[in-house]
Amino acid sequence: MRKINRHGELLTENVIFIILNIVFIVILFLFLFMKTGSAAVLEEKYAKQIALIIDSAEPGMVIYIDMSDAIKIAQKEGRDLNKDVVVIDGNIVKVQLREKGGYVYSYFNNVEASVNFDSESRQKYFLVIDKK
Amino acid sequence: MKINQITKKNIKGDKIISVYWFAILFIVAGAVIYMVFLFYGKPYDFRKIESDILTTKISRCISEAGYIKDEIFEEGFKENFTGVCNLNFQVEDVYGWREQGQYFVEVEFLDFGSKQVLFSASEGNDNLKEFCDKKSKNLPICLDRNYYSLDKNGKKYQISILSIVRKTEKNA
Repeated sequence: MRKINRHGELLTENVIFIILNIVFIVILFLFLFMKTGSAAVLEEKYAKQIALIIDSAEPGMVIYIDMSDAIKIAQKEGRDLNKDVVVIDGNIVKVQLREKGGYVYSYFNNVEASVNFDSESRQKYFLVIDKK
Repeated sequence: MKINQITKKNIKGDKIISVYWFAILFIVAGAVIYMVFLFYGKPYDFRKIESDILTTKISRCISEAGYIKDEIFEEGFKENFTGVCNLNFQVEDVYGWREQGQYFVEVEFLDFGSKQVLFSASEGNDNLKEFCDKKSKNLPICLDRNYYSLDKNGKKYQISILSIVRKTEKNA
């Protein structure tokens, strides 16, 4: 009778041990995914990328940027995709995916740049470059 | 009796292993978290690409198809260098950047044979030039490029373009 109980105890301990290990690994992976795809990282990445695209652009160009990962976050946060997410003011690009946050970066190319949400694909923004 | 003793020993052994196992897990997790913060805690450094684009833009402004554009030799080029080359060095008003100036560009036209500077034009914060001979990621990025070009009379020039981008706080 005692022998059976010991086996039972061993099995429960092992199951708890394995579950804890799995929980631990899942939390670790969740942390990694949250950090790599976080709003702050994406805001910085896209603000700088858009500024560099405008720097190397010539008047008359229309450039599409796939921002599906950022758009997903902005939608979750209830941002207006047409007005609030990517804004160009003067020669400064601002990407804001959350109410509190946002990242600004300037470009040196003296052109008239405007940004629009691609309502067909709903995954892209496009930049229209004109002469100033 | 023997079996019980053996079983008892095994249970103790298991418990010790599980403690060590969790200690290892925490060490691994700590290392992963540290590395993630080390990598994502620092901003993306775009300054090298930015200075490269700036240099390309200036070279395209100065010469076309191997020949120096006529307006470069006209009066007013030196004074209105940024206007001619369509540059705007205004930056966002953070970290006192606007007062400081985050860019500097200098173009020198040298005689191809004697390497004597015939004329030059510059714009931006010239204090940034003194950091170019020092190497650190917390200092401005300097890019010095030279190329050969001709004027419409066939005279040879060496054109030297120095582009400097600071923006250290947001890139380093």
